Amino acid sequence: MRYGDFTPFDIVLLLQGLGVSLALFVSTTLIGLVIGTAWAVIRFYRVPVLMQAVTFVAELLKNSPVLVQLFLVFFGLPAFLKINVTPTEAALITLSGNSAAFIYVIAVSAIESVGRDQIEAARVFGLTRWQILRRVIAPQATAFAIGPLTGLLVNQLQVTSLISVIGVMDLTKVGNILNLRTLKPFLVWTAVGLLYYLTAKLVTYAGARFEKRLRAHTAWKGL
Amino acid sequence: MISITGLRKSFGAATVLNGIDLEIRQGEVVSVLGSSGSGKSTLIRCINGLEKIDAGKITVDGFDVSKPRELSEARKRSGTVFQLFNLYPHMTAVQNVALAPIEVLKVPRKQAEAEARELLHSVGLTERADAYPSQLSGGQRQRVGICRALAMKPSYLLLDEVTSALDPEMTSEVLSILAALAKTGTTMVFVTHEIEFARSISSRIAFLDKGQLIADLPTEEFFSATGMALPRVAQFLSKMRKD
Ligand SMILES: Nc1ncnc2c1ncn2[C@@H]1O[C@H](COP(=O)(O)OP(=O)(O)OP(=O)(O)O)[C@@H](O)[C@H]1O
Ligand SMILES: [Mg+2]
Repeated sequence: MRYGDFTPFDIVLLLQGLGVSLALFVSTTLIGLVIGTAWAVIRFYRVPVLMQAVTFVAELLKNSPVLVQLFLVFFGLPAFLKINVTPTEAALITLSGNSAAFIYVIAVSAIESVGRDQIEAARVFGLTRWQILRRVIAPQATAFAIGPLTGLLVNQLQVTSLISVIGVMDLTKVGNILNLRTLKPFLVWTAVGLLYYLTAKLVTYAGARFEKRLRAHTAWKGL
Repeated sequence: MISITGLRKSFGAATVLNGIDLEIRQGEVVSVLGSSGSGKSTLIRCINGLEKIDAGKITVDGFDVSKPRELSEARKRSGTVFQLFNLYPHMTAVQNVALAPIEVLKVPRKQAEAEARELLHSVGLTERADAYPSQLSGGQRQRVGICRALAMKPSYLLLDEVTSALDPEMTSEVLSILAALAKTGTTMVFVTHEIEFARSISSRIAFLDKGQLIADLPTEEFFSATGMALPRVAQFLSKMRKD
């Protein structure tokens, strides 16, 4: 194939790449939310051993480059455990774990932001730890966490671009291919950057909307 | 009956309660007086199980608060009103009052909220029932706090300086509610610095000094020669009256 001009099909290619990036972003965010929140609950209950394990794993994930984690999963798992992972699986595992670690941090501080005095009141009236978590802590912690969470997700969206290096056909990988074919880097990367930018804006907007709704619902202006 | 025998509690090296014996029978209003730091709040927090006790025994209607299995039964029988209200800020007044009945007593939500409204009505908060704590004045918040405790239909009310965060006008609005409760035979353990009010509603006065119960007397005896014969009590009362 000769170096050539853009074809209408390239738009489809770009949108496909965007779709892959978005699908990975959304699924790893959801998995990360479930795992990160579960870790925070383990910490809330002070489950022995598990709690230390969670802290240790989260520390590892937070303090090492995502790219290194990705290589470890993609090349390391087959080599050491004889498990074959496809690039998509490797991306899914790595990004989910990474999101979980950071969501865990946000969830822990959100839980801790709820005043001790209210929790003591709830205990005195005989609510169980689980009831306190659900009725008293969770609603306030969620409102508290939305802001930091939106910031994190905007960042995690950009991080998904790393998976292009192991061959996942995401938006960045498509950009790479188009660039090599057309040799018009400025145009290609502007288009790719713009798509990331618009998606990030959408995430921020959704976060702000959600936060506003939560606060309107509770009409809670803090103390 | 709330029964306290040989209660000891320390925080690190500091002994805060040093061998307390006290009984509160159904229908009594017992005011707990004592200077700042004498251990009054700690005593209340031991009775409702917020602090672990180091020695001795506390039972509420026979349920031992140091046994996890019995603590929940003990807690169902006593209601606490806090100095700083400790309301749930994300819930309306009605929701604050109805939460524990719904979750702990499994009262259906509709019924619990109707009862909460009735309670709020009885303390003059009919109009403010759907307001959030941040939209209420201090006195109104404390009235919600009292309703929240009453909603559990407790046998005993534990009140720790429930008016000390309020200005005089709000204080009298809360005290009149407590006086009405005392008249209807609600059992209360009442920690306060409002000496005259304590005198008017209590059947007994317990006086704490440096973690020890140095007087446990019928109200009028406490304020007469018998109480005054105790140097620490005389000193405390003369100081409080001067303020
Ligand atoms: N959690 C705690 N850790 C360490 N020391 C504490 C703790 N709670 C209370 N104390 C100490 O115990 C002593 C008694 O405190 P407490 O709050 O029971 O006094 P109080 O009689 O209620 O005083 P006040 O009238 O000022 O409310 C004080 O010296 C206080 O510093
Ligand atoms: Mg106190």
